[in-house]
Amino acid sequence: MTAPPDDCLARNEWICGEYLSTRREILLDAVLQHLELTALSVLVALAVALPLAVLARRRRWAAGPVLAVTTILYTIPSLAMFSLLLPVYGLSASLVVAGLVLYSLTLLVRNILAGLRAVPEEIRQAARGMGYGPVRLLLTVELPLAVPAAMAGLRIATVSAVSLLTVGAIVGFGGLGNLIYSGMNTYFKAQVLTASVLCVLIAVAADLLLLGAQRLMTPWTRAARG
Amino acid sequence: MLVLPPLLAGCATGPSLEDRGNVTAPPGDSHRLTVGSAGFTESDLLAQMYALLLSDAGYRTSLITVANRELYEPALESGQIDVAPEYAATFADWLNAKSRGPDAPPVGSPDLATTMRELRRLAAPRGLAVLDPGRAVDQNAFAVTASYARRHGLKTLTDLGKSGLKVRLAAGDECVERPYCAPGLRETYGIDITAVDPKGVGTTQAKRAVQSGSDQLVLTTTTDATLDAFGLVLLADDKKLQNADYIVPVVNRARAGGEGVAKALGKLNAVLTTADLAGLNQQVDSWRRLPEDVARSYLRDKGLLKG
Repeated sequence: MTAPPDDCLARNEWICGEYLSTRREILLDAVLQHLELTALSVLVALAVALPLAVLARRRRWAAGPVLAVTTILYTIPSLAMFSLLLPVYGLSASLVVAGLVLYSLTLLVRNILAGLRAVPEEIRQAARGMGYGPVRLLLTVELPLAVPAAMAGLRIATVSAVSLLTVGAIVGFGGLGNLIYSGMNTYFKAQVLTASVLCVLIAVAADLLLLGAQRLMTPWTRAARG
Repeated sequence: MLVLPPLLAGCATGPSLEDRGNVTAPPGDSHRLTVGSAGFTESDLLAQMYALLLSDAGYRTSLITVANRELYEPALESGQIDVAPEYAATFADWLNAKSRGPDAPPVGSPDLATTMRELRRLAAPRGLAVLDPGRAVDQNAFAVTASYARRHGLKTLTDLGKSGLKVRLAAGDECVERPYCAPGLRETYGIDITAVDPKGVGTTQAKRAVQSGSDQLVLTTTTDATLDAFGLVLLADDKKLQNADYIVPVVNRARAGGEGVAKALGKLNAVLTTADLAGLNQQVDSWRRLPEDVARSYLRDKGLLKG
């Protein structure tokens, strides 16, 4: 048997330049898959959560069931969730996206609803007095005022989606989780560390990006403070 | 919008329940094939070799890695995965347990021909075809330190039984009751096993325990390439206690059951040996090379790739 090559890969070091140079493409692909699936999940979740929250706000009877169902979904363990959805979606990226959407729902619905409920009654009355219909009231008064609370939910949902996505590795669509999972099996230190660090960086970057977006969307909060 | 298309697709693929009993359609030869890997090194390597051989034969291939057999076997039935590497006896037992329940008597045996017959009988109703096995076998194996073997003149498990030595066995905790493990060693070989040390199958801790002398025998597998590093040697299973876990490609018959796939993958059968596979595992596990690179350079060295 030939002698093992002497490099940091064979020595299994935590930080390994050769790892980065030989797997650059694999890492890039994993990061792209991670970003793509996280973004898609959060956007779909937002599109589903928003009408649910509005419904829960407008129709008092709907609030209980909506919150109950989304919260129960949140308590399903992630491995079980993917196994339950497997017969529906097969081995595909939509399986992972669907799982993450269901998890994000409770965080988003609760926060958007809290934001809508926090709109002072006087403001709603004033808008109605100025002749605002229900749709215009929602779009131009209630939703903008709910943005800070909704964005808080969106930030939590995004950061948790970034980390939960790694579980998608069990079906081969886990972004960086694929690398973490296979690295753990072979005790591959550089791979586990590199992929985990990238995962944290993505989460932090996404959080800062959303914080920035929130600032831009709610100029009045800064004006009030300044 | 996200929910509907996969739902429909899920219903449209794979043999329907009524057809499962008799798959009579001619074996298919799809040109886009998905090769599945079960996510551990050897499976990755074999899947990479299958994919390279298939693309060399003109197929367009993609690879998918899933965590375990519970996930990829249904995908293999439905045609989401077309080709996957398997172990004959283990897969036969797994399919048997799936059809008849976990308490079904095992069908895998040390005899390759019997095992293959049983495996094909179980796989056919599920729309799966099992291609011919090659030379590589990944089965359970037992190792002692080289110095211990020299001192007591041991080459086979029979030698160990005849020596009358008392041995502590480092293995998984299920070894106590599995027929291939402690009970088999006692009954078939007459080995005096004083205790089973539950350190896992072929783990570093298990090998260290034997190296240091606290245990004498370790359960590992025939494709374990790290034995040298621990100063261990395998004792031959001369009375054929272990099941015939030959490596076989399993394919979805409707999509990859044709001559082309069998011919492309069959090229590996005459070439890949158990020792080769152990060497390849070592390059990935110990040297941390990429499975794809290791697989490609092996196939190139053996002249199995045209491109």
